[in-house]
Amino acid sequence: MELYDRYAGLAYAVAMRVLGDPGRSEDVVQEAFLKIWTNAAAFDSKKGSLRTWLITAVRNRSIDYLRGRGAHERQELELQPELIESSLRSDPWHEVSLSLERMAVREAVGSLPAEQRQAVQLAYFGGYSQSEIADMTHVPLGTVKGRMRLALEKLSSYLQGRGLINV
Amino acid sequence: MSDHEELESTVAAWVLGALDPGEAESMRVHVEGCATCSQTAARLRRAVVALPLEVEEVSPPARLRERVLVAAAAARASSLPTAPARKRAGPVPGRWKPATTFQFGRLAAFAAAATVLLALLAGLFVGGLLGRGSVSAPPAQVARFTLVGHGALAAAHGTVIDLKSDGVTLVDFSGLPALDKGKVYEVWLITRGGHPDSAAVFVPDSNGSKVVLVNMPLKGYSQMAVTAEDGPDGSIAPTQQPQLYGALG
Repeated sequence: MELYDRYAGLAYAVAMRVLGDPGRSEDVVQEAFLKIWTNAAAFDSKKGSLRTWLITAVRNRSIDYLRGRGAHERQELELQPELIESSLRSDPWHEVSLSLERMAVREAVGSLPAEQRQAVQLAYFGGYSQSEIADMTHVPLGTVKGRMRLALEKLSSYLQGRGLINV
Repeated sequence: MSDHEELESTVAAWVLGALDPGEAESMRVHVEGCATCSQTAARLRRAVVALPLEVEEVSPPARLRERVLVAAAAARASSLPTAPARKRAGPVPGRWKPATTFQFGRLAAFAAAATVLLALLAGLFVGGLLGRGSVSAPPAQVARFTLVGHGALAAAHGTVIDLKSDGVTLVDFSGLPALDKGKVYEVWLITRGGHPDSAAVFVPDSNGSKVVLVNMPLKGYSQMAVTAEDGPDGSIAPTQQPQLYGALG
């Protein structure tokens, strides 16, 4: 249960952020941990951290719940991030490193122009499509695309500059 | 705007999961064959996987840990070769009473071994050590009961976790005394009419603990009890008064 103890708080928080419902959030977190467990033999730690895998699964399942989609509609690519991430560090440093990462991400997201932040958050935590976001925010689709692209480029650059991701 | 420019402008929405399924599939095909877009997607996805860290961590309810543990154990159990459930024993004259006046009668049928012992806690999620195959994971409908020790088993305790939707039950024993050589602990399910059915046999570890899978539903039973019986298969009927028991509901 080490993985659970380490990441359940984050997983549950992400599910709650998306769903806003404790019961459904518990279901999603349970399913995500089981998914890791039943696929553990096939998991290749060199292809991505367990944390990324787990949190991506939680987010995707939460969005599927929210949008009434079946998990089969989800791109498998999103459940198999092939990124090498530095999240599985030794225990003594885990909390410290995670805390530093969080501070950096919050700082980075907070530094984005409001409209870019909104576009990214509506997509990632709200599960809205780019077309839906364009309708909701009353801007052309191309503008939404541009805001998403700029936001992610800035975040990527910001985190890279702090050595949190390798680009 | 060229077709490629149009697609490239959509990479960010794609890695954010903000495309409709048809658009996403078209994008996936394009990115696979386009080095430029593939590189862009990889770079932007690194930012996307960091987004959850923006969320303030929330402590999940304590029961969630147990739910995950139980569901994982059930999934693990379902991937193991299963022995047939122990046969229900024949009727016993009189009612079963977990009290000092308690007395078992002899039963007619022999039981088959059915215990699957689970090593649940340690290293549950360690990759490579765990079960294979896909297991769908609907939220388990779980009920929990307690077994209390008496007399020589006063220090013993059992937590019964009934996975109703899976038709199996996990019992987490602790504080059990070491057994005499050749003996096993036997788990009994007692019907409302007082008939004991053998459900599992087990030997605790050196710490007096064991997690036992009872591979049969609890429906129709009102109590669970444990006795020490001759090994390796236990008895066809309890040969002593149980000193560890509890109500199922």
